[in-house]
Amino acid sequence: MSRIPAIGLRLVQLLPVLIGITIVTFLLVKLSPGDPVRLMLGDRATEETVAAVRAQLGFDLPLWKQYLSYAGNLLQGDLGQSIRYRLPVLDLILGVMPRTLFLATYVLVLSIPATVILSVVAARHAGKPVDQIIRILSVIGMTIPVFWLGIMLARFLGVELGLFPVSGYGDGFIDHLHHLFLPALSTSVWLVPMLVRNLRASILEQMEADYVVASRAKGLPARYIFGRHILPNSLLPTLNLLGVMIAFLIGGSVIVEIVYAVPGLGGLMIEAVLARDYTVIQGLTLFYALGTVIVTLSVDLISTWIDPRVQL
Amino acid sequence: MNLKRLGRAVGLLAALTLASPAATHAEDIVRIASAYRTTTLDPALSAAAGNIETYGQLYGRLIRRAADGSLEPGLAESWAVSDDGKTVTLKIRDAKFSDGSPITADDVVFSLLRVRDLKESAYSAPLQQLAEAKAGDAQTVILTLKSAFAPFVGNLEVFNTGIVSKKDVETRGEAAFTTTPVTSGPYVVKEWRPNDRLILAANPHYWREGYPKNDGAELIEVVDDNTRVTMMIAGELDAARGVPWSQVADLKGRDGISMPLEPSTVIFMTLLNHSRAPFNDLKVRQAAAHAIDTVAVTKAMTFGYAATANTTLPGAVDFHDKDNPGLGYDVEDAKKLLKESSYDGKPATILITDSAESERLAVLLQAQWAVIGLNAKIEKVDGGVWWERVPGADYDAAPTWWYNETPDPDLAVRWALCGTCGSESYYTKYNNAKVDELTETAARELDPVKRGALYKEIQTISTEEVAQIPLYYPPYANAYGNRIKGLMMTPSLQWTLEETEVVQP
Amino acid sequence: MSHLGLSTAVPRARSRGSIEISIGGSLLSAWLFLAIFGPSILGVDPNQIDLVAILQPPHADHWLGTDQLGRDALARILMGARIDILMSVLGVLPPLIIGVVVGLVSGYFGGWIDSILMRLVDITVAFPFLVLVIAIVGMLGPGLDNFFVALALVGWVSYARLIRARGLVLREAEFIQAARGLGYPPLYILFRHVMPKALSPIAVYAMSDAVMVMLAGASLGFVGLGVQPPTPEWGVMIADGQPFVTMGWWICLFPGMAAASLGLGFLLLSDGLAGRLGVRK
Repeated sequence: MSRIPAIGLRLVQLLPVLIGITIVTFLLVKLSPGDPVRLMLGDRATEETVAAVRAQLGFDLPLWKQYLSYAGNLLQGDLGQSIRYRLPVLDLILGVMPRTLFLATYVLVLSIPATVILSVVAARHAGKPVDQIIRILSVIGMTIPVFWLGIMLARFLGVELGLFPVSGYGDGFIDHLHHLFLPALSTSVWLVPMLVRNLRASILEQMEADYVVASRAKGLPARYIFGRHILPNSLLPTLNLLGVMIAFLIGGSVIVEIVYAVPGLGGLMIEAVLARDYTVIQGLTLFYALGTVIVTLSVDLISTWIDPRVQL
Repeated sequence: MNLKRLGRAVGLLAALTLASPAATHAEDIVRIASAYRTTTLDPALSAAAGNIETYGQLYGRLIRRAADGSLEPGLAESWAVSDDGKTVTLKIRDAKFSDGSPITADDVVFSLLRVRDLKESAYSAPLQQLAEAKAGDAQTVILTLKSAFAPFVGNLEVFNTGIVSKKDVETRGEAAFTTTPVTSGPYVVKEWRPNDRLILAANPHYWREGYPKNDGAELIEVVDDNTRVTMMIAGELDAARGVPWSQVADLKGRDGISMPLEPSTVIFMTLLNHSRAPFNDLKVRQAAAHAIDTVAVTKAMTFGYAATANTTLPGAVDFHDKDNPGLGYDVEDAKKLLKESSYDGKPATILITDSAESERLAVLLQAQWAVIGLNAKIEKVDGGVWWERVPGADYDAAPTWWYNETPDPDLAVRWALCGTCGSESYYTKYNNAKVDELTETAARELDPVKRGALYKEIQTISTEEVAQIPLYYPPYANAYGNRIKGLMMTPSLQWTLEETEVVQP
Repeated sequence: MSHLGLSTAVPRARSRGSIEISIGGSLLSAWLFLAIFGPSILGVDPNQIDLVAILQPPHADHWLGTDQLGRDALARILMGARIDILMSVLGVLPPLIIGVVVGLVSGYFGGWIDSILMRLVDITVAFPFLVLVIAIVGMLGPGLDNFFVALALVGWVSYARLIRARGLVLREAEFIQAARGLGYPPLYILFRHVMPKALSPIAVYAMSDAVMVMLAGASLGFVGLGVQPPTPEWGVMIADGQPFVTMGWWICLFPGMAAASLGLGFLLLSDGLAGRLGVRK
């Protein structure tokens, strides 16, 4: 079966979305109050200096002219220069992106096995004490604010027990694993419950499906039915959820990044918003959009691979 | 601690599986964390905290300030002020930039005029009195002033007057400052990771023999206060700037960490908008000031680590009037004054940024003003909006802080109390012709005793007229680890990084 | 982001759903009661500062201790219940309504309307949820009202997607075909027949969305963009109490427990409803 045309179509549909995104971000940042120039120059700059720099950056031009020049540069692959740092936006983004991607992957590596094991255990013992314990732990995991948990883990596992570094990113693969363990753990504590709730429910749903009942009636071993039919079929909806979550992780690990001083994409975004660094906000948004699209597309592709009935 | 030992054992196990964290500190690198970011390496372009600290490490200045506050030779090995106080002649020492080229009088003239004249120059005030700068010969610089100006030589120590390479800036343009600038100070940029950290390496051509006493430094940007403290306790830092007051006692009590609480020229106060009701009325301002129990506020905010402020100037600047009784806390008096005033009961807006500290301050002000019947509502905005509304005088009160970059009070007065000096008394629009006049007289007065008297008068007038409500003078809450020796922060926000030795590598 | 994961549960025995509904329901009612009557029963001003009594551990005068400005923690938690319940309701309802309308219209009519609306969904989804909320709140200014605006602008997407999927299925359902055959106008069919059938997953999802809204509020507090002071809100109480945790265990613990129990109530109710309504994905 050829999936190429379907993928092609998806990419074509992406175009208006990307244009929409650039317009939305552009307006969002331009129409909001707050002046990047003042923040950049510091407290004691005079009004004249501020005005001079504004003019130099072209902020005194009409809005549509500013947008056109931005869009024009974009078409040439130029994301522009950070207003604040006077460095190419692309460099800033690429500089921190590996960390965020590494962290997101790490979180998945920790979360997926935990999710599958906990969900299977919970579903097979549905309603029994084990199930209830898992549920209560899930609720706690989901309602603890990540920043609080982060600080507690850092103080206990990091400082008191001296197990892990409490900050930074490290040098080299092994060092990354060591440094990012606490951030990844803090994120997983929140992500796993979310996925477990979903997967447990789909497993239970599948267990009562007609074909499962039929297989059972045919006398197939329970373990076989579970491993061969129930689990793969239950994974589909969770996979979709996971796709959404990955997209979320790329930008949403902001808080964890702040708590563990691992400057990544999320932190860059927040800083850019607070400093009104328009060009960086716009550049990041485009990256996010692309990231989201790639992730959803991959999830869909994996879905068709697991279950050929799923259409792209 | 048993727990700790157990932890080490488990940690060893973990280390076996995760491999040991690489020993990255084979070199003598000093690791400092601060919430303030380096956003540009160009000394002319910013006056924001974060950049101020960085400039000092990269660009040597003509004058240095000794630990006791006196001026000593920097890149200028000597200087002379003419009798009329209008000409300053500096002899530039035989020194080199980081690329090995000689630092000449031309570079000095270029650097100073750049800060004074560049359109985008963030803070040209320290050099406003400079009428003309020219090179006498390759090693002599002659600076002519508009008039005699007592603080001028001291101003040559301000963070943005560092010397940059004329040739480098002219050939590379703006790009000279975006990655690896040619420097004249103790360090060169090894790697700048914007939004993360600045990695410095010792400048092999630095003029001070034997300095810096370390191989380099990492200025790490850690925005969360708690994270800096945790990193400090975990031994991942040698110094942390801005420890929350609530954790000072905890850190002080830990082995291997010291918190000397160095004096600073920081003052916490609240701005009052003199250009509109209710604070355009002196009586309302006085009532508002008397309503605040500054001693209790100081204690609640800083757990007693700061001194209560008594005048409108920072406590650590020269000529600060220690004997000024301040406005004092007197609820009855405040109520009486408010009753006599034009106040109509409309709530005043307390404008704050999104920092936890200003939030707490605002809540305290609101509560204490409520006691005397002065209503206020708090409006929290982010820094970008705050900096638009305060200069635009669109606020009533705004608790915040500022610091002075020199011990000399001239720049402080021009910034916070002078109505005709550009910032219109830190955007309060406080405008007293007498204060403005005293500002100029004091700057021209070369006799320290007479100058002191003039600044005393400025403080008396502006405090009584409640130009702002002074709250407290905090020291720097910096934590230092015992791996290093000799690091401190000077009152003008500079790390003594070049003096810092790594004693326990 | 769309946090579809919360909208799940066991489409099984109704009795089990009932237990969850009753526990969840009572937790929520308890908090609702405390929010409405708690502050006046206690009679302590949650914003009354007392500079000589800061950071006091729980004792007879202050059952849950005092905070960094000497304010009574219990009074603040009770008053905070009002804010947090309001937050979960107002943070969920507007996005729900927008999302339901968009989703119904999109799913039922299909065609170019669907294409446009779904591209709009794609645009919104492209922004990470928390970052977009922070960006909007950062730009509009911190405070509850802007928080609700931000959530409405961002949160509708999940509802739209959920209900669009139902709409697509229902469009082809026999009874809808029949109604169309009888000549009822599309809008009538849409709201009279399609919407009720599509609402149950929405109701379930909304319950868990409420928890996400509370957490988003807390995260905003952490980056300094929470509610305007001195408003007591649990997330902000935890965030502001952070620097003081080493001085007192009670400062973050109690608001944290309050948030967790309210969250538990919402989640249990969500599970129970799912069981009762037989929601399927």
